Amino acid sequence: MSVPLVYISYIVSALFAFGIFVGLPKQGRFPRRGAFIVVMAVASAMLIYLLQLLFGAESRNITFCILAVLGLAAAIRVVTHPLPVYSALYFVFVVLATAAMLIQVGAEFLGAALVIVYAGAILVTYVFVIMLSQQSPEMKGRISAMLDYDRSAREPVWATLACFMLMAVLAGMIVEHPWKTVAQPLSAVATRNTVELGRLLMTDFAVSVELAAVLLMVALVGAVAIARKRLPQAADFSDHKAPGEAGKTVVPY
Amino acid sequence: MPNPTALMIVGALLFAIGVVGFLTRRNMIVMFLSTEVMFQGVLMNLVGMGLLHGNIQGQGLGIFVLVIAAVEAGLGLAIVVMLYRRRGTLDAENWRSLRG
Repeated sequence: MSVPLVYISYIVSALFAFGIFVGLPKQGRFPRRGAFIVVMAVASAMLIYLLQLLFGAESRNITFCILAVLGLAAAIRVVTHPLPVYSALYFVFVVLATAAMLIQVGAEFLGAALVIVYAGAILVTYVFVIMLSQQSPEMKGRISAMLDYDRSAREPVWATLACFMLMAVLAGMIVEHPWKTVAQPLSAVATRNTVELGRLLMTDFAVSVELAAVLLMVALVGAVAIARKRLPQAADFSDHKAPGEAGKTVVPY
Repeated sequence: MPNPTALMIVGALLFAIGVVGFLTRRNMIVMFLSTEVMFQGVLMNLVGMGLLHGNIQGQGLGIFVLVIAAVEAGLGLAIVVMLYRRRGTLDAENWRSLRG
């Protein structure tokens, strides 16, 4: 090949960063949809080109490329869409694409767990909270009906510049680094993935599994304690309240 | 089977996209969604590194990333609900005073 891979990865990073910049809501205007689609199409084409160069001629995998493009485009929509509900829905897309990519490389259990935990549990929580806390009832996609803090991003130029630097450094390093690959014992790992993973969790990571259980328990208690609505106690109404009236008024806080 | 390097590149791009979302958006719920995107990137990188080494430890660590993500979602959303009840808005700029 003529052009080194690292420059192609820089170009891909720049295109994706520019796509984010075009897509971000700015100053109450809708992002230019046509420009966004064009930039994303070019970025996706460059990414597919880079991935195909990485795969080499003998192991082309167009399914992986399509999944990568879909996942990244959905991720960009997650961070650029002005309506949080759509962000959450696009995040489901990201999760599904990621899970499919993991299954492609043989991590079946992790892919399934990703779909169950993320798309099944975490996303329901997010959508629930979004529905709880949206204020304006008339959101018909009109920009004037949207909330002010959803319409305008904070420092889009600097943020996308930082994003480009991070992407270019990470991708360039990954492409350039001479990874020492083990001579493919992958098939043994891939064919009995779930069995091997279960054995690993119950032997090497046994203490970590217990710690994760404790952590989940603590987080459960903490979440209840934080989000609990504090009802007034009888002591708060000790002045001039008839008996039986104490629980009827809730002090706003 | 795809090259693990490709998996790591996609993971790195996902992570950077999550970072820019966390930096630019002002809605607290979308900021937390961006951290979830970052978690996806980290997960893909862990699996890719594990494949490079030819063992399954990376996927084992990925399970723990899932646990941390669930904990983060639960606690973070509880905090968001509490903050929303206090000020009636999800704008992160409203809590500027926490900067000190």
